[in-house]
Amino acid sequence: MSLLPWTVALWLFAIGLYGVITSRHYVHLIGCLTVVQSSTYVLLLAVGYRWGAGAPIFFDHPPGTPAVDPVVQALVLTDIVVGATVTALLLALALQVHKRRGTVDPDALRPLR
Amino acid sequence: MTEILPPLAVALPLGGAALLLLVGRLLPWRIPDGFSVLVALAVLAADAAMAAAAAKAPLVYWFGGWAPRGSLVLGIGFVVGQADAAVAAVVALLFAASFVFAWGYFEDIRAFFHVLMLLFLAAMQGFCLTHDLFNLFVWFEVMSVAAFALTAYRLEASSLEGALNFTVTNSIGSFLMLGGIGFVYLRSGTLDFGALGRSVAAAPHDPVFACAFTALAAALLIKGAMVPFQFWLADAHAVAPSPVSVIFSGAMVPLGIFGIAKLYWEAFAPAPSIGTVMQTLLFAMGAASALLGGLAALRQRHLKRLLAFSTISHVGILLCGVALLNPRGLGGMLAYLAGHALVKGALFMIAGILLSRLGGIDEIGLRGRGGEIWPAGVALAIAGLLLGGAPVGLLDQGSRLVDSAADAAGRAWLLPALVLGTACTGAAVLRAAGRIFLGWGEMPGEEERAPSEQEEEKPNRPLWLMLLPVVVLLALAVAAAAASSEHFATRLAARFIAWDGGASLKSLAVPLPVPKQPSPHPFIPWLSLGLSLLIAAHDLGRSRLPRAWLAASDRALAPLFIIIDRLHDGVVGAYVTWIVVGLALFSVSFVAASG
Amino acid sequence: MKRRARLVLAAVATLALVPGLGAAVAQLPRFGAHPLPYGEAINRVAPVERHVTNMVTAVNFDYRGLDTVGEEFMLLTAVTGALVLLRGRRGESVTDSAAEAPGRPIPQRSPALRLLCRCFAPVLLLFGLYVVLHAQLTPGGGFQGGAIIGSGTLLIYLGEDYRIWRRHMRAHLFDAMEAVGALLFLGAGIAPMIAGASFLQNILPLGRTGSLISGGLILIANAGVALAVTGGFVLLLLEFLEETRAAEPEDEA
Repeated sequence: MSLLPWTVALWLFAIGLYGVITSRHYVHLIGCLTVVQSSTYVLLLAVGYRWGAGAPIFFDHPPGTPAVDPVVQALVLTDIVVGATVTALLLALALQVHKRRGTVDPDALRPLR
Repeated sequence: MTEILPPLAVALPLGGAALLLLVGRLLPWRIPDGFSVLVALAVLAADAAMAAAAAKAPLVYWFGGWAPRGSLVLGIGFVVGQADAAVAAVVALLFAASFVFAWGYFEDIRAFFHVLMLLFLAAMQGFCLTHDLFNLFVWFEVMSVAAFALTAYRLEASSLEGALNFTVTNSIGSFLMLGGIGFVYLRSGTLDFGALGRSVAAAPHDPVFACAFTALAAALLIKGAMVPFQFWLADAHAVAPSPVSVIFSGAMVPLGIFGIAKLYWEAFAPAPSIGTVMQTLLFAMGAASALLGGLAALRQRHLKRLLAFSTISHVGILLCGVALLNPRGLGGMLAYLAGHALVKGALFMIAGILLSRLGGIDEIGLRGRGGEIWPAGVALAIAGLLLGGAPVGLLDQGSRLVDSAADAAGRAWLLPALVLGTACTGAAVLRAAGRIFLGWGEMPGEEERAPSEQEEEKPNRPLWLMLLPVVVLLALAVAAAAASSEHFATRLAARFIAWDGGASLKSLAVPLPVPKQPSPHPFIPWLSLGLSLLIAAHDLGRSRLPRAWLAASDRALAPLFIIIDRLHDGVVGAYVTWIVVGLALFSVSFVAASG
Repeated sequence: MKRRARLVLAAVATLALVPGLGAAVAQLPRFGAHPLPYGEAINRVAPVERHVTNMVTAVNFDYRGLDTVGEEFMLLTAVTGALVLLRGRRGESVTDSAAEAPGRPIPQRSPALRLLCRCFAPVLLLFGLYVVLHAQLTPGGGFQGGAIIGSGTLLIYLGEDYRIWRRHMRAHLFDAMEAVGALLFLGAGIAPMIAGASFLQNILPLGRTGSLISGGLILIANAGVALAVTGGFVLLLLEFLEETRAAEPEDEA
């Protein structure tokens, strides 16, 4: 059981990459990239977890109650913003490509051929 | 005074970008141009001042006032060594030149171009100066996102497709970097390079650190466009606007390799298996890239794609310099980085001049039409000679250092790869110069096959304004080497290596004196220069050569060229497959290194 | 490369990755049973030194504030990039008629939808504001709250006519909001330097733990981030929604 979080993270990474490699539609590819990103969330949050500890918020409990690692949670927050921004940019790109080429099939979109 | 420079190098362009975003709509269109040039020059001055001040010991700056407590690092620090500041200064110089070149180019929506470029500059400064792993990732991301947006700026169909390939492959690199950061934090509990170095020294054979290094190095190698991660580069460079391509090839891609140097020397040096993998796998990747880039460059008729492949070749030599793990190799890498940035920047600017003045970028389609802009032709020829290995300038200094370092490390077989790579890239540029400006090298039947998409850039800038930064960059590339001895670069490198990343939290260890060594192969520059002239002459004079020779050489070389063309087909799924292959190469190397 | 070739190559590469990964995963510490010194130290010292109760906010805006500055400007970069891509050819005009896909008529908004949106949109916006203001006390912060407020404006779009919504959601306002937020955050970083301290050093009075005004400079940084994120998200939504409008005849070539 101790290996489960790392296995999940690696599996998500692998399956997301599989989706990117075999994708037929750019929006699907962007979704697969999101899956790959989720694997990094799982990995980082699993790194910070501690059994029997609560959230690192001491509003209701006194400081000193066991809490999980807040540093990785801050890292994941930054990670989420990164993911959101890159997804927005990719979707805008896909939209414009569709307008100009009429297709969003990655195999059919080849620059400068 | 110099203590507050590290945050200023990042805060100035960030503030400038936010200001332009706020009031850009209201300003007449010259003001953002001038403002951006001023900001870039200010950053250049700050970097130069930091480089001078860091001569004795690196400048250390802790953000938020969070200095380390004992051995526990709570905040983010910037540690500015001389090498870091020097690289950052070269980047800032390139931006200033690019802004001058782009004067009046982007006069449409609200200074968005300048905003994106200033953010790009800020990210590169942060990347060079930081001492924290996650902070490195953040600046890496800002750099990437700005690059994605700038690639697609022209909104042509091919620009968008190139930007898509670029974005997808580099995003996977970012996710890999995050994975590496997760593993690092898991094993060492810290994100600061110095503290990380101490953790690695305490557990040098830990496979978790090897795994983390794989992920981090793969991300940086994707950015640095090394084999087998290089496929995105040609697509992206060919379609980005010329001022942006200047920055891509001159600054962004080499920074990936500089990042690997930082990562190794400031954090992962105590691990012997990582050192072995650097010297074997990464060295091989660099040599392979040098060869592949050169050969592919010869095949291109689209000038910017040609230059993109030549970037892969030269950055491969940079990686070889780093992978040798000694001060001379690293010093060669630094000199070569500076020289390559200046020359490649000038080359992309000349490509931009061709686009805006002659309305095309296809080498064969432009044959003989360069007469009216002949100063650009002179500059193109000079740049081609420098790339091809002319024995003057920073590029030559760098390659001599890398070669002598390889020789000292027992890898003299780098020499043919280095010579062939530089010869091919120089030949390609010289061939283009000869064809466009002198009208040589007619290829009947080929001229009608120019690519259908009409490429052009706005012809609204005077020629002298576009040529000015070209001349300045080329002059610096030649003169800077004369002003400093090659020992300067080696000294910078020795200091870079000697700083133990703050692992001991004491002051700088005394760098070992690196003895001056005469180059073991003094004929290299002449060999590669001669070879490049020969290849260029061969391609230009095809119509005069005997038919039998041409048929034989084409038949011999065709399979190689066909494979190169087929692999760079623009399909993003294939590119991602090669990324997985690259990761597997790392895994195999580590197993072999430790087993 | 053909798809089959890609899959075969990727499969072979994945197999080659297994031994290296296996060796690393075997050496990983036990999940959930390895406290790390950095996080422990923050949990211990941050409530005392900064009078905040949300450790994640303390890390984000104080201890590792520079990361958040970078992240903030990355959002700015991405939104600017998306604006360039989407506004580029279209210009900054606003179209009134919705685009029609063949065979799919545009339904009228039902009164039930209007009522629900009018009830819930203010609640959502208020909730977003609550999340922003309680950054240093309970889970939340500028990013989270800004995203909620941005999504809250979507409820307004759902309930109202696009024309009316667009006329009130002025792009210029949100452009300015985004830039002002970024400048506020950067200014909060530079101001301590003028006073002789480090970039983003918390030199303001820290207030009482548990009250809304606590944490010193964290409040200003948080406000800057909230403004910038709200502006950025609403701009993105505006531009993407504008893509669903019918193109003007002189628009695309």
